[in-house]
Amino acid sequence: MITHQNAQPQKPTRVVLLGARGFIGAAIRGQVEAQGIPAIALTSAELDLAEATAVDKLAALLKPSDAVVMLAALTPDKGRGIATLMKNLVMMQSVCAAIEKSGCAHLVYFSSDAVYDTAISRVTEDTPASPQDLYGAMHYTREIMARSLTKVPVLVLRPTLIYGLHDTHNSYGPNRFRRAAQKDGKITLFGGGEETRDHIHVDDVAALTVRCLLCKSTGTLNVATGVSKSFHELAELVAKQFDNSIEIIVTPRANPITQRHYGVTNLIKAFPDFRFIAPEDGIARVHKQMMEAA
Amino acid sequence: MTTPIIGFAGMTHLGLVSGVSASEKGFNVVCFDLDAARIAALVRHDLPVSEPQLNELTAKNVKRLKFTSAIADLSICDVIYVAPDVPTDVLGQSNLEPVNVLLGAVVAAARADAAVVLLSQVPPGFTRDWQRPGRVLYYQVETLIFGRAVERALYPERYIVGCADPTQPLPLAYQTFLTAHGCPILPMRYESAELAKISINMCLVASVSVANTLAELCEKIGAVWSEIVPALKLDKRIGQYAYLAPGLGIAGGNLERDLATVCNYADRHGTDAGVVRAWIANSCHRRDWTLRTLHRETLSRIDDPVIAVLGLAYKQDTHSTKSSPSLALLEHLKPFRVRVFDPVVPASAAPNPRCYAAKSELDACEGADALAVMTPWQQFSKLDPAKIAQRLRGRVVLDPYATLNVTACRAAGLDYLTLGARS
Repeated sequence: MITHQNAQPQKPTRVVLLGARGFIGAAIRGQVEAQGIPAIALTSAELDLAEATAVDKLAALLKPSDAVVMLAALTPDKGRGIATLMKNLVMMQSVCAAIEKSGCAHLVYFSSDAVYDTAISRVTEDTPASPQDLYGAMHYTREIMARSLTKVPVLVLRPTLIYGLHDTHNSYGPNRFRRAAQKDGKITLFGGGEETRDHIHVDDVAALTVRCLLCKSTGTLNVATGVSKSFHELAELVAKQFDNSIEIIVTPRANPITQRHYGVTNLIKAFPDFRFIAPEDGIARVHKQMMEAA
Repeated sequence: MTTPIIGFAGMTHLGLVSGVSASEKGFNVVCFDLDAARIAALVRHDLPVSEPQLNELTAKNVKRLKFTSAIADLSICDVIYVAPDVPTDVLGQSNLEPVNVLLGAVVAAARADAAVVLLSQVPPGFTRDWQRPGRVLYYQVETLIFGRAVERALYPERYIVGCADPTQPLPLAYQTFLTAHGCPILPMRYESAELAKISINMCLVASVSVANTLAELCEKIGAVWSEIVPALKLDKRIGQYAYLAPGLGIAGGNLERDLATVCNYADRHGTDAGVVRAWIANSCHRRDWTLRTLHRETLSRIDDPVIAVLGLAYKQDTHSTKSSPSLALLEHLKPFRVRVFDPVVPASAAPNPRCYAAKSELDACEGADALAVMTPWQQFSKLDPAKIAQRLRGRVVLDPYATLNVTACRAAGLDYLTLGARS
């Protein structure tokens, strides 16, 4: 559940994006700037939060009136071990220390649905966090670190699986499916693709983030659509976008089927007029962008 | 013995309904409240609550009813019920201060031989803490239902009486009053009676939770809950009166209070209340069915939509809006224009800045993009869906309790959605 600190939407004087190189950061930056809000988008090349000097550099840059959006993290594709965990925690330590030094008006921390037990099929913000791996533990620890900043209004966003043109992780789902379909003319599923997941378009993630910035929202919010589709259904949706026939290949199942659905009532309560991009429309949009880019 | 005189202290819903019903049974009744203004209103027959038959029976038995704010008037009573409704907060936590104050005053004013009977909703252990040497004190379970309170008071299924020592006979006057209702009397320890009241409500919540859980599943897989219910009611282990109608969560305040009490006691004593907490979570989840459905069908599709809402009370035949699903919905419709009608509750109860107080059901529907029937008032069931369709701008009708005629709604071209069935 989140609470809006601003009774009426109000633009922050400036938004500082940490981890702006990723495709979520870029999408948020685009929508922030489209609102006419000044933004500073920092990549790891410009400010390495794991470096010892990061605290002073960031503190010097921050103003007490800034809204900070913290997206920077080493994702599992960069490593799943303890070293990655510790580096991620150091990065968050730098952010918290800099904010303590200089202050800020609002901190939005991008966490992950990895804080929930993968065995839980229906998730809401009331579902107890119970991370099953170091990546989930990292995000949950960083959430607690953010909330320890007692003088700063903090919002934690826990996004579900995100898809969009510029996704860099090529994660299993619409992102990988469209690339595989384009390259090989086929989509290979784990088992029969029976698992259901909630996929959200990156533009929806960015739009919701901007709304939270305007409302200065605090608390915890799952960023999901409330609609879960099986990977097989998603593969069919992706395949439908191509003129040529795309083969959907099922494989022997190696792991038990798990399901994941989101209860998004709190999101609806927070933004009752929000319109999600339907999977059919979102996949078609990304396909069109991909073909245009090609 | 001569017909005993019965006193009722605390003239809110419970005390007033119980007192008027006792007079209908032929007893002379003293109705007392510390609030002189409340008594003055009752003397004018300006009743603070709405219940079927209550006005009529108050007028009919006026000679047997004495409304007073003079506590000394209770001294003529052989049995005195202490019956203020116990207020609760949003978490279902009871405020016991008013009942403590009133009980103290009554115990001090009652004759030594009078039976003082606590009728209010109190947690286990409360009555024994009030037991004093030489004072005849009982706890009696009330099982009134909002909207059917008079009927339940006149024709109780049984009396559950909490006693300091259940092996001792009840005082004659108390026994006489209870026997006049012709139902079984079950004496038991104070704590057992207090927990019996909670146990009854937990059974009701369990049934409702089953109905809500499976009704939601019906909405996904194409089963129809209303087709299943008759099969369940013919099962003797479940029964024809089981609470199996799906709804928008638990409301009204009383069940929420008992849920909170069980959780509090379980936490204190280390017993397992996991299932009770699951019922609470399910209740919250189902309460928002209308909001979720409205978002999916209308709010996320139409710019600046107008929503018609019929019903504000938490259920039919009551003025109460305690935990009302309708108000919970309206709380989240603040950004939108709403048109509201309830036969009893004024539209001012709606927390919306853009609320139009409709003069009738059809007036509420005028130009609306969607209609939500949030209280199953009987009069709503008589509405002609064709006329609703004429007035609405949109086609969406959310009727969680299936108050309207489903077939007629669909024949009128409305997109009809209800609990327990796929749209």
